Amino acid sequence: MPSLATSVLAADTLVSGGFPRSKVDSNIVTINVGGQTFQSTKQTLALAGPNSVLSDLSDLHPSQIASRFIDRDPELFSILLSLLRTGNLPSKAKSFDLRDLISESEFYGIEPLLVNSLSDSSQFDAFNIEKSRLLELNGRDLPSVIAAGLHGSLHVAHGSKITSFDWSLRKKSTILTQFPAIDSLLAISSKSAAAGATDFSGLQIIGLEKGAVRATLNWENATKSASTVQAIGSSNDRLFTSFESSRRNSNCIMVYDLHTLRPVTEIAHFEIYGAEIDSAVPSTKLRWVPSVNLLMAAGSHHGLPGLTGNIRLWDVRSGKAVWEVKERADCFADVTVSDHLSAIFKVGESTGEVSYMDLRTLGNNEESWVCLREGRRLNGGKKEGFGCRIEGHGSQVFCSRGGGVELWSEIVMMESSYSNMTGDGLRGRVFRKNLIGRASDMGGAKISSLAFGGNKMFITRKDLQAVEVWESSASRL
Amino acid sequence: MENAYPNNNSLSLSHGRVKLNVGGKLFETTVSTLQSGGPDSLLSALSNRAATDPNPVFIDRDPDVFSVILSLLRTSRLPSTAARFSKQELIDEALYYGVDSCLRTAMSPPPLAGIDASVVATIRPAADGFPSSFTASDDGSIWIAHGGQISCYDWSLAHTATIRTHFEEVTSIRRVWPEIAAVGSEVAPGLHFYDISGGRHVGSTHWTDPSDPRIYKARVMAIADSTDSIFASFECPHKENSIFEIDKSTLQIVSEFGRQLGSSAKNMVAGKLTWLPESNGVVGSSVTCGAFGYAGYIRLWDPRSGEVVWEANEPGSGRSSRFGDSFADVDVDVDESKLFKICSKSGDLGMADLRRLGEDPWVYLRDKNYSMWNTGGNESSVIRCHRGQVFVGREGNLEVWSRVEEGEEGGADRESDEIYRRNYVDKLEDAQRGIIKRIEGGGDRLFVGREEVEGIEVWESSNFAVAIPVT
Repeated sequence: MPSLATSVLAADTLVSGGFPRSKVDSNIVTINVGGQTFQSTKQTLALAGPNSVLSDLSDLHPSQIASRFIDRDPELFSILLSLLRTGNLPSKAKSFDLRDLISESEFYGIEPLLVNSLSDSSQFDAFNIEKSRLLELNGRDLPSVIAAGLHGSLHVAHGSKITSFDWSLRKKSTILTQFPAIDSLLAISSKSAAAGATDFSGLQIIGLEKGAVRATLNWENATKSASTVQAIGSSNDRLFTSFESSRRNSNCIMVYDLHTLRPVTEIAHFEIYGAEIDSAVPSTKLRWVPSVNLLMAAGSHHGLPGLTGNIRLWDVRSGKAVWEVKERADCFADVTVSDHLSAIFKVGESTGEVSYMDLRTLGNNEESWVCLREGRRLNGGKKEGFGCRIEGHGSQVFCSRGGGVELWSEIVMMESSYSNMTGDGLRGRVFRKNLIGRASDMGGAKISSLAFGGNKMFITRKDLQAVEVWESSASRL
Repeated sequence: MENAYPNNNSLSLSHGRVKLNVGGKLFETTVSTLQSGGPDSLLSALSNRAATDPNPVFIDRDPDVFSVILSLLRTSRLPSTAARFSKQELIDEALYYGVDSCLRTAMSPPPLAGIDASVVATIRPAADGFPSSFTASDDGSIWIAHGGQISCYDWSLAHTATIRTHFEEVTSIRRVWPEIAAVGSEVAPGLHFYDISGGRHVGSTHWTDPSDPRIYKARVMAIADSTDSIFASFECPHKENSIFEIDKSTLQIVSEFGRQLGSSAKNMVAGKLTWLPESNGVVGSSVTCGAFGYAGYIRLWDPRSGEVVWEANEPGSGRSSRFGDSFADVDVDVDESKLFKICSKSGDLGMADLRRLGEDPWVYLRDKNYSMWNTGGNESSVIRCHRGQVFVGREGNLEVWSRVEEGEEGGADRESDEIYRRNYVDKLEDAQRGIIKRIEGGGDRLFVGREEVEGIEVWESSNFAVAIPVT
């Protein structure tokens, strides 16, 4: 709350009384913007940052007061001045187009403040999101994978193209890639993304402005065959890529430096000999768990016994798997890890049930999934987990089932009251489920992917040539 | 980023400031902003006078439109408040202040990318709205021939004029001067010139040959133009045909080349002509479709000598694996010096380098888009090269072949055919509007005409996301 700090400071100088009046006045800056006069304080204007026109102005000597003129639109400036004062956009901003506000904030160098007030991830309110709009894609290719970037920007791969939307979802650009289709996509910065495909060798770091390939990363496997990308993940400074040799006889996870793109190490390297199915399954999901410094890698395989898979937690530094679970019965259809909840969540392929494993108790004794029983069954029919997607975001876990999204959240209970309730003395965690959306938003085609960024949730659906945006109505502009 | 606007400029000292009173509302800006509209504009003239006068300059115009114009000058982009006014209001007001070139830049579409384009408008002439031919210019304007009329739409797609020609139906049109159209008809003889602004017939050229009684009532089938010549192919009622070079300023015939009898598919009249600025050659092509499939030729002439420099006849030339797969349409990418053909049977796209033509110069581009595997072949196809991309209409479907950007390590060993990717421009529902008959590129716009459909579709790219609100 910048305004608070400023006003308190001003009050202090007044109350202490030792300052001559002119000194207090010199704190007030008068600016003429496009013919209208505005008054503010040096402190407020300083929030625009040292490179802004505004801080240049407040540094001017009082004798140059006539020079405090900015040749810009006064109405837009009044909105942005409110933003500087309060950190929030005033409600009259609703009568302006966001695109004008963005370009004006770029001029004053205060776009980050605008981003914070409109698309900060702290504004994401899982219980209060609703379907707000559909982002259209040109052409006929359906989105194959989506990746959310910083502050809710979005990259959508459709066919051989990637369309990127900026944080405001107002501007877009489309590039053409060398891939016939893209299966894995990760936003690296606002200007580049990593893309890979299961039928095209190499991981490409692609510039999103012109579509130029900045680097192609390949795994030099033993048979010298090309390698395809099965999954991409990242931490703050590392880029993880799950490769499989195109002969499908070896796989590994390569670790790169996220900034230099130089290879750091190679972990989870498996060469397949004989009929050992387990090592033949490349990881198709990579998630970094910052609190424990481990990488979750999971892969599954459709074989004679049905779907089988494994989930491992890797210590990237030592290159060792510190924990592993083999999925035989009710293998995961999708799995994710929530750092906030310190648990791995899966949705079982055959039962469709959501289960979790607590990260804090892993390796203690028998490791088993704790199934999240539902108090009420909304659709009494047969449950199937095939095609379900599960993703953790913040302190919630989102699981798509058919055309709907379930929200699982933990309820922290007073320990005594909980054991009284269950009566069995078991110490478990309490998770409860909600369905997201109003009745009018329910249904729709099967959800094919979920992504989260800024204060928004993004959904793609089967046969829908657009991306659905969900956000809370309060933060919408 | 609006960084094009330098900070020190906006922080200008007080003596550069100008006060304006527009229709009762006060505005304050700087001399440099007012002058950014160009030295000849009314605003920059006012800024010169105002420097010595402390009183605001009064302009008796609407202040709300002026605030849009002022924003445009300050930021070189149109503010969203511009949507309150019609395009024509803004253009009129910009013309009044003399800053129309700024407005034109701000209103023009971004570079055309076929992979990300959509229909932004459909131009529908008021009467006889079935276009028979159209010609587009680099500024994105288009002249449409429909029936015996020609309708002109300027860079903003605003209707500027409709004139009536003496033809019952104009089937070829080319804008040869900024205000002059060269028109021809398949049903009436001669190449005629019309002045669009005056709506007057200003000249005509006919193919006559007193020594040959077969030459009469020659009609124009195709028109191309270079900086100082017009090329037109003529055909007589009994198929005798020839190409003429006509001087643009005198409208007189300079030379004739490629005269032929028209007795077989290999010497029919050229239905498409393109002038090559690089080599000063003329590429002509003819396609006929009969019971036994497509047949035709592509020829490259040197108009100075009248010699055929290179030619390809199909069926009958090229590699044996491509027999029976004669081209259905041909176009020239003038900027890249490349020839593209669309094969009638396989639907493949063939590419030939105009600088290295030979016995069989064709490289067949491979298609890697999974969603398009079951398309191509045995369809009505048209092809048009524009802005380094190849647009193909197959029945009602519009697709684009675009080159993939290569990285710094994009190897030189990679085959040239690998760098093209094929994508649909349109959506399924677009394709249902009708068979694509003609595609033209003009500036950053693509114009598409469909069979038996009124009007011309305008396709543009946009930097703005299309968001459909859900309520």
